[in-house]
Amino acid sequence: MRMLARRLSLYVVTAWVAITVNFLLPRMMPGNPVQQLIGKLTGSITPQQVHAIELAFGIGLNQGLWAQYTGYLHQLFVGNLGVSITLSSPVSTVLKSAVPWTVGLIGVSTILSFLLGTLSGALLGWFRGSRLDSLIPVATFFQAVPYFFLGTVMLLVFGSSLHWFPVLGAYSQSVTPGWHWDFVFSLFRYGELPVITIVLSSVAGWMLGMRNMMITMIAEDFVLMAVAKGLPRRKVIMHAARNAVLPSVANLSLAIGLVVSGALLVELVFNYPGVGNLLLQAVLNEDYPLIQGIFLVITMTVLAANLLADIFYFVLDPRTRTEAAV
Amino acid sequence: MSSVRLPRSPKVLVGAGLVAFFAVLTVVGPYLAPYNPSNTNFNANLTPSSAHWLGTTALGQDIFSQLLVGARATMIVAIVAGVVATILSVTVGVSAGYLGGKSDEGLSLLSNVFLAIPGLPLLIVIDSYLPAGGRSNSFVIGLVISLTGWAWGARVLRAQTMSLRNRDFVEAARIIGESRFRIMVFEIAPNLLPVLASSLLFTILYSIGAYVTLAYVGLTSTAVWNWGTMLYWAQANNAPLAGQWYWFVPPGVCIALIGTGLALMNFGIDEFINPRLRSAGLSSKVRRESGLPRRPRLGFTPVLRPRDASSARAGVR
Amino acid sequence: MNDVDQSLNDTVLEIEDFSVDYGWGEGAVRAVNNVTLSVRRSRVLGIAGESGSGKSTLVYAVTRLLRSPGVIAGGRARLTFDDPGSHDTKRRTVDLTSATSGELRSIRWSQVSIVLQSALNALNPVLRIGHEFDEVLKVHRPSMSKTERRERAAELLGLVGLNEDRLARFPHELSGGQRQRIMIALALALDPQLVIMDEPTTALDVVTQREIVNELAQLRVRFGFSMIFITHDLSLLVELADDIAVMYAGNVVEWAPAGDLYHAPRHPYTLGLLNSSPPLTGERRELVGIAGAPPDLSQPISGCSFRARCPYAFDRCATEVPVLGVVDDSGRKVACWLHETPATVPMPLRIVAPGRDETVPALDQEVVS
Repeated sequence: MRMLARRLSLYVVTAWVAITVNFLLPRMMPGNPVQQLIGKLTGSITPQQVHAIELAFGIGLNQGLWAQYTGYLHQLFVGNLGVSITLSSPVSTVLKSAVPWTVGLIGVSTILSFLLGTLSGALLGWFRGSRLDSLIPVATFFQAVPYFFLGTVMLLVFGSSLHWFPVLGAYSQSVTPGWHWDFVFSLFRYGELPVITIVLSSVAGWMLGMRNMMITMIAEDFVLMAVAKGLPRRKVIMHAARNAVLPSVANLSLAIGLVVSGALLVELVFNYPGVGNLLLQAVLNEDYPLIQGIFLVITMTVLAANLLADIFYFVLDPRTRTEAAV
Repeated sequence: MSSVRLPRSPKVLVGAGLVAFFAVLTVVGPYLAPYNPSNTNFNANLTPSSAHWLGTTALGQDIFSQLLVGARATMIVAIVAGVVATILSVTVGVSAGYLGGKSDEGLSLLSNVFLAIPGLPLLIVIDSYLPAGGRSNSFVIGLVISLTGWAWGARVLRAQTMSLRNRDFVEAARIIGESRFRIMVFEIAPNLLPVLASSLLFTILYSIGAYVTLAYVGLTSTAVWNWGTMLYWAQANNAPLAGQWYWFVPPGVCIALIGTGLALMNFGIDEFINPRLRSAGLSSKVRRESGLPRRPRLGFTPVLRPRDASSARAGVR
Repeated sequence: MNDVDQSLNDTVLEIEDFSVDYGWGEGAVRAVNNVTLSVRRSRVLGIAGESGSGKSTLVYAVTRLLRSPGVIAGGRARLTFDDPGSHDTKRRTVDLTSATSGELRSIRWSQVSIVLQSALNALNPVLRIGHEFDEVLKVHRPSMSKTERRERAAELLGLVGLNEDRLARFPHELSGGQRQRIMIALALALDPQLVIMDEPTTALDVVTQREIVNELAQLRVRFGFSMIFITHDLSLLVELADDIAVMYAGNVVEWAPAGDLYHAPRHPYTLGLLNSSPPLTGERRELVGIAGAPPDLSQPISGCSFRARCPYAFDRCATEVPVLGVVDDSGRKVACWLHETPATVPMPLRIVAPGRDETVPALDQEVVS
């Protein structure tokens, strides 16, 4: 239990750091960014927009930094992330529609990638020296390709050229969203290529990590004992894999941030209506309240996912559950 | 530890070759470029020809020149970021691992926090606040990237330092009364080299990805030629959908190849650090001539014996 | 009973001209050289020797469990057991060196089980103790029900003096002695013909070591399995083993009934080993190690491999390799030229080391033979 408590406190601190960075960054900008920004926003600008910008940068408020900070924390606490400059609606409202897409896409891809990579890594490790080894350089290559570039190529080859997969968007424009079969099917079909892209880009990490751990485990006595017990090969591999997977699960929480980073861009390529797409639009439009809100939401979601991964580890490794063990 | 005998597997050789190729390109690339990459004097959207090996952009720029010139900017940012991040991770990781106690807790917390915050979104947020001058400066971008990329290395180095710290020779230095700083620099640091090298390769790999991504998103100056800005302009001009593969594929492939090279070299270091990963020394030819299986099988020790028909099945009576 | 040869027709395991290499081709190093040994039914064969003598290598290779780059370079290992498939107790013999992986799998644990030095490493750290028992029974006794398997596991724990609540524990929650008892119980789960003990007590404290050896002796009497007990501690073997084989540099240098070997060692190396382990009974004496170190097996050795450390070495030892042969009426075997030319050296052996006085009190003279 202590391990989980420690991790939880780490995430609380991390969340606090992210919030504070978010608070300080705009206030550290030199010059008068508000005037610059207002100058850039062509056309009419409403007083609400000016107010939103001023709030985001902490300018024009007759408050000290500390008062601003506590006010900021309070606003966050009640779920107020400010108002988007370009969309003129609360950031939280904008995010509410985007977050589920991203969580769905990245969640499914990460779980698939982890399962596939761990399984293939276990086999690669066990059958080391066999022809399966030729998978390693191939996987390494895919790992080195930037997610967005792979996405572009996949989109072109399998989407617009071969028409194997529908692309652009999260579902067909001809179905109305709702919990019915047509929509779910469309969702599934449109999700395939983005998911395949993310899995291809991220699977090598799991695969190679698992392979190395598997090779390390095979040298352990208990694996030899599993053989000496006359267990069928499948069970022997399981004995090794069950232990080899632990470092992978421990790394799961670290890797989620990395996968999220890459996957956000895949959304852009496939025009998936998630947070990544939104973030990049916000960056192009210099919509600072939105950028910050998205950063916070992504960070909090990743931290929550980390906690889930830690709980998973906690369940898998009995040694974390007993304190007294030496 | 002192006798450095790097494994010479084909994987490592190919990786080193790829990395060496791009290192050379970084140095000589801009001199080899046939044209000024920003020069818009050519016809737009030319397909590859002998004059323009990779055709021209929608603005009439020579793509091949952009690719050669872009190598340098890409690599410089990656190396700056990689080196700075490694210095950060060594400082934090080795100190945490060696000092232990409260300092360790504080420094570990710091690196864990940076590990837990998703790197790219943080990078985008910081970068979006950079003034235009900063965005076009390779060193500023490199520094920002290093800020998000040092934590992983720090974690690995901390673990390695902790295991080294308890070994005999460090213990001996401590008893002799060497200062902590001396022990850290002269006793522990040299033994961290393989882990350090691995961490450096990884951070360079990460930095290339991060820089190219920032450029692709348009968060670096689009006037600086690197592989990311090439992809940005290709995307902005709809090159992929227009079938101009020669515009967007070469920079992507270059990124992938240098990344593959770095990762393959890392395999060599992994095998150096963890001897269990090394394959058994003899060639498969010798194996086959001795009548041994291609792959050792746990729990089935091979038997070296010219088997004749009578003895082969005589086991069971 | 003292005659090793006479009981050959009732052996469980017959190892014949067995050689093991590490590596292959030109880089091969011979770790076990033409060893011939046998394990009698319901008896204990002890194998003693320093680390690197090849004692563990031999046993792992015989069971085909030796890891790469270990290679069996020649020889046979015939295992004879009661075929569980047939109704009458029909004996079946399988040559382990030519058995298929399927045959090996069915023989393993049901006929030959093994206990390793460190039970902490031998037990899967993420599995409950009960799972280890359950799995073995499930694979080899498919007809057993879940409850029967559980009852059997509890019964086995009872045999080694442990409460069945240990079944719900993980290895790291138990003490070293408990873990090793669990390994022993697990090794007996399928009533095997042969149990191999690879230094099972080395990692334990002296008191626990003693308890476990006593328990093992009782269990063996009760269930009648044969045992190979590997150790570097000769005095421990004398208590437990019926026959003892002493190995040096990949060769068996002496193979004799335990009492004979203890009271009247015939090979100078055996004497050295006895001098370096505490005596069973009687007055304390100074323990003396064997001077020098075992030879580097990757270098060619001419003559007797123990020559460089042997206080009795003479000309012939430098040129000719001694072969294991019967030296007297009792049938015990020694590989030493001393016994071909008995006039050279007074019997029995009792010199401690070259240049030293005979500070060691004489061992009881040839009580048995």
